[in-house]
Amino acid sequence: MLQRLRFSCCFVLIATFACATVMAQKPLAIQNATIITGTGETIENGTVLFRDGKIQAVGKKVKVPVAARIIDATDHYVIPGMVEAHSSSGMSQANETNQIVPYVTVIDGIDPMNSYFRQARRNGITTVRISPGNSTMIGGQAAVIKTGGEFIDEMVVDGVAGIKISLRPVSGSRMAHLARLRKTLKDAKEKLEEKEEKEKKAEDKEKKDDDKKSAAKQDDDKKDEKKTEDKNKVSSPAALSELDKAMNALLSGKNSAIIYCEKAMDVGQALRLIKEFDLKASLVLGRDCHKAAKEIAASKLPVILDPTLVYWEEDPRTREEKKIVLPKIYRDAGVDFVFQTNRPGSSTIGSNYMWYQAATGVKYGMTEEEALAAVTSLPAKFLNVDKFVGTIEKGKDADVVILSGKPLDLNTWVETTIVGGEIVYEKEKDEQLKRLLTGEEKDSE
Amino acid sequence: MGNSQRTNNMKFEFTKRILPCLTIVLVAAFASNIFAQAVVYKAGTIHTMAGEPLTPGQILVEDGKIKAIGKSVKSGNAKTVDLGDDAVIMPGLIDAYSQAAFYNGGSADEITNEVTPNFKAVHSIDWSSRTLRRVLENGTTTVNACPGTQNVVAGISAIVKTDGSQESVMNDDAVMLASLCNDPASRNRSRSRPDSIYVRQPTNRMGVVWILRNTFQKTTKAGDDSELTNLKQVLDGKRKLMMVSRMSYDLNTIGSLTDEFDFSPIIVGGHEAYKIKSILAERKFPVILQSNPAGTTTGREGSELCWNNAGVLHQAGITVALSGSNLLAEAQFAHRHGLDRDVALAAVTSTPAKMLGIEQQVGTLEANKDADLIVLNGDPLEFTTSIRWVMVNGKTIGQKKDK
Repeated sequence: MLQRLRFSCCFVLIATFACATVMAQKPLAIQNATIITGTGETIENGTVLFRDGKIQAVGKKVKVPVAARIIDATDHYVIPGMVEAHSSSGMSQANETNQIVPYVTVIDGIDPMNSYFRQARRNGITTVRISPGNSTMIGGQAAVIKTGGEFIDEMVVDGVAGIKISLRPVSGSRMAHLARLRKTLKDAKEKLEEKEEKEKKAEDKEKKDDDKKSAAKQDDDKKDEKKTEDKNKVSSPAALSELDKAMNALLSGKNSAIIYCEKAMDVGQALRLIKEFDLKASLVLGRDCHKAAKEIAASKLPVILDPTLVYWEEDPRTREEKKIVLPKIYRDAGVDFVFQTNRPGSSTIGSNYMWYQAATGVKYGMTEEEALAAVTSLPAKFLNVDKFVGTIEKGKDADVVILSGKPLDLNTWVETTIVGGEIVYEKEKDEQLKRLLTGEEKDSE
Repeated sequence: MGNSQRTNNMKFEFTKRILPCLTIVLVAAFASNIFAQAVVYKAGTIHTMAGEPLTPGQILVEDGKIKAIGKSVKSGNAKTVDLGDDAVIMPGLIDAYSQAAFYNGGSADEITNEVTPNFKAVHSIDWSSRTLRRVLENGTTTVNACPGTQNVVAGISAIVKTDGSQESVMNDDAVMLASLCNDPASRNRSRSRPDSIYVRQPTNRMGVVWILRNTFQKTTKAGDDSELTNLKQVLDGKRKLMMVSRMSYDLNTIGSLTDEFDFSPIIVGGHEAYKIKSILAERKFPVILQSNPAGTTTGREGSELCWNNAGVLHQAGITVALSGSNLLAEAQFAHRHGLDRDVALAAVTSTPAKMLGIEQQVGTLEANKDADLIVLNGDPLEFTTSIRWVMVNGKTIGQKKDK
């Protein structure tokens, strides 16, 4: 209880901090836009009003304060800011060489100046869960952050957003990898149980003592209180190591596991571990995992697809090739999945853009609504931040994207990205993009 | 299907035994066109790439050729296949510079000699190459199979269809390939020991240009039946020359070489072509732009990229074709980044056909041309559009049962 209280306290603290930074904001209104709210509603000629970093109103008839700054979005579309549920970009180094480091956090490694964030804002991503990479057994703690900001403190939404576990051995066998992982979890579990038992015993003893005392010294209330306080201090458990604390959080369900499965065989192992240790988990799937689509569907776990959505797979026996389309396979199997992006420079054309991933989904059978949900509301739900982001609704964070046309259309560009009511990207002012599209250097004068 | 309703017994026989056999035979017959039956395909839109699109349109295919095309065609005995109002037909895509026909996309490089003008790519072609199948699946029906870039003068390309049949060679003696880039030098530098027999020139850019110039000089002096005949044809204007070149200064060097010797190359690569567009436009060099990894700002050899390279060059009056393993995606991104719609579609169909001199056979959908086409479920220039099936020489590949 105390833990949870502390946890929510943290949350409130962060939230108030975020609020404080935008307190001085002028209200901002986007008018005359086609608003795709993400709740199943599309408002033609609508208005969204932001105040203090939140969405204050959305609809056809919204009273806009005189002082508000107004963006006219005639012929434009407004969609919720996109959410990327897993990315190891934006960090100086995503993988730790030490294989078991549940206590490290990406917050210490995120570089807000990394080009990932610029690309994200340019392409409409406003929220991302940055996770440690796929090459560390227990790689550390992920964080859900906003893509707008210059300092990490003002970007963090949830610093307890999962602990990355990779089932891909960097060296050695899968047997050894799994054995070591299981041992680590088991040891931590035993320690946790031991600690809980001790605490319970201490509590029981305390209760007995208290009962005795209260019976004996009913009249000396003040003294008694003081004594109890002292007792509490004494009976508090021995200082835990950072590793223990992180593992405790994982095993008690206060933090979740983000399990990377490289191959289909890893999926089975992941499901076993989740059951064995009663973990809260989401799966980050390598592309081979599509062979376990049925099991994944049955597990009902949140799923993040490999960024390479379409590829050719070789039959190891016949060496024949087959075209694999991940969104189609998982959709047919009934899996709720979301997309992630490749780093720029990947050989798969377009896969570095979230909107292109959604378009690829539509290309292979998803409806546009499903595809949009898979880059907005669904990842927000997966990340447990759907109270704040993922749809355009009153009271949620003022994170929206203004598009030049219909979402997923080829000629549609992100015109403006707004995070927390602040304009963090404007295509008009994007000098790098201008150079890339005209080939002309900016005038040096 | 009427047969199956005679009696229950017969029905069982039919569905359990005869039907599967029949289906296999029918499918096989359809796939290999044993009965070269004439078929009229009806579609909501046909981008002929020779004039305005037909909406709707019909196309009559017989014996691997387009017999007729128009808003409606006389079908005669032909079978009619209605592909639906959403269906879009366009010409099969053409890649004017490709390595897909070689063993799993590996390039054909000769590493013992820098000048090999008599090597022919056609002998290196792997007809069951996976990469060939992949590009076919992506809608490419014709490729210009080019030797690699490790040689200064690499040899002669072959133009082939992508259906993996040896009969589909369109020209086994097509284009001469040369490199004016760092590739021939970069590999040599990595061989450490200068006294090794494997060491060869060039090891830097100057060397590349020197060998090229030297070879051209020899060619001008060479007789008609010398080793350099193929190159002589280039200088006589009887053979096309493609030069792989990416950096602006290399492209400039090509300009000065063409002043010294009488040839007019097609530029391949062209990563920084936008930087010297006026020079290229003035000299009327066509450019085949190579694909770059998505979202990057620097390309091979450290070139500075312009995402709208194609659009900028087209604006300057330069003929542009696009190249890559997924040509439709290349056209889509080129259009998104600023290349006009029609030009983007032409850059993967009619324009490369003209560059290769095969425009009489492929590149547009017109009567008497090869029946190479792709059927899509929507606008070819939308990311959400997929290819339903591809036809090469009248044979359909990957026909799906769409709704």
